[in-house]
Amino acid sequence: MARDKPNEDYIGPIRRLLVGVLVLALLGLFLLWRIDSPRVERFRAAAIDTVVPSFDWAMAPITGAANLISDFESYQQLRSQNQDLRRELQQMKAWKEAALQLEQENAKLLDLNNVSLDPQLTFVTGVVITDSGSPFRQSVLVNVGARDGILDGWPTMDGIGLVGRIAGVGNETSRVMLLTDTSSRIPVTIQPSGQKAILAGDNSLNPPIEFLGDTALVRPGDRVVSSGDGGVFPADLLVGQVALGTDERLRVRLAADYQRLEFLRVLRSQPHEDIPDPNELLTPEAEFFGPAAINPVSLQSIEVSDG
Amino acid sequence: MAEGADRKTWINRGVFALLAFVFIVIDLVPRDMRPPVWAAPDLLLAVTLAWVARKPSYLPVPTIAIFFLMTDFLFMRPPGLWAALVVILTEVIRRQNRDFRDMPFLVEWGTIAVGICAITIVNRLVIAVVMLPQAPLGLTFLEMIATIAIYPVVLVVAHFVFGVTRTAPGEVGSKGHLL
Repeated sequence: MARDKPNEDYIGPIRRLLVGVLVLALLGLFLLWRIDSPRVERFRAAAIDTVVPSFDWAMAPITGAANLISDFESYQQLRSQNQDLRRELQQMKAWKEAALQLEQENAKLLDLNNVSLDPQLTFVTGVVITDSGSPFRQSVLVNVGARDGILDGWPTMDGIGLVGRIAGVGNETSRVMLLTDTSSRIPVTIQPSGQKAILAGDNSLNPPIEFLGDTALVRPGDRVVSSGDGGVFPADLLVGQVALGTDERLRVRLAADYQRLEFLRVLRSQPHEDIPDPNELLTPEAEFFGPAAINPVSLQSIEVSDG
Repeated sequence: MAEGADRKTWINRGVFALLAFVFIVIDLVPRDMRPPVWAAPDLLLAVTLAWVARKPSYLPVPTIAIFFLMTDFLFMRPPGLWAALVVILTEVIRRQNRDFRDMPFLVEWGTIAVGICAITIVNRLVIAVVMLPQAPLGLTFLEMIATIAIYPVVLVVAHFVFGVTRTAPGEVGSKGHLL
């Protein structure tokens, strides 16, 4: 080009080469990630762990502004909200009465049975620092990590229901993959029918239920709890309620309030005891009598001597 | 290119870095964890393309690579792929920068739109080839359209607020050389 600066004539090719090397390096990183994902993901967790907590000062004003706007919106609906709340409170009082009676009954029964509930299920509470930043991935970063003893795979709840699981632990932060993420798969039980199924996230607010044995036994409104199958999660954590989606698929209305995830509880999930051979639990090792007990080597020797 | 960088250029590079940082933080702030029904435009991409199309000297390649690699890591995308595609696209636009100076705006916008479509499609193709889970097609499409649609707005803001304008014919730098 005639209008180019004269020194670009020799800078051009070198620059093009350097840019080429840069692009190749980036693509190489992508390939490395594809081949050895855990290592690069560990690096990602470590990088986020160092970078994100230092964003705190920048996030405070933006979070504040967002809260201001949402507060303003809620002021507008104050009156109708008030009425709704009053009505709900009325219903809740009735429930509270029922719950108190049940609690007393439960306590009595537990006392009769001399049951000790599992004291090992404790939790660590963390604050949500960031979300995934992209509309395609559903995950959040919480401010507890390896230094708090967090391990990969632990379940995470808000006050009420299951929110997700830990996927990626840094020293001070860890990532929670939400149930709505496309790669989230959770084994669940549907009460009261006791059907087992898989809750598969699909980037929508109400994830569908897959691999359900008998659809006829499940009705909208049934409770969905985690099943503890495969040792993924402890059993009986509340997930939500069954609902029939507009696409005629059974979906789950999640109990956790995804609109406001601020504090998350990470449950210290104890590893399941591994039972390699379930037969040994029930019966002592079988002793065989009869032909099967004859040593095959002696049989062979007999054959040889016959020949 | 660093050789021709004077003070004004350095200040503008700083301004871009600050702007990119703000966009990343806005994306990261946890607001509503419900999966979105629509996708917001990729402002960082739009701003990067606008800067490269108007004043490429304000935006050296390493800056682009670092920022997009950082967003790859932060936003849980496959690291490196999107950054590489954006660097390639900006290089193409950078080479055409001189031609953009005499062209009507619609041609520039069209070129940018084609570029954004191209890298989005290539991104999906590569992800399909290496058999990774795909992002929802509808959302990707919406984000692409929104990014293309926001581009003129970004240009106007860049022009009037940040002074990122087309280089006028015969404009000279601080050392008296032709730009």
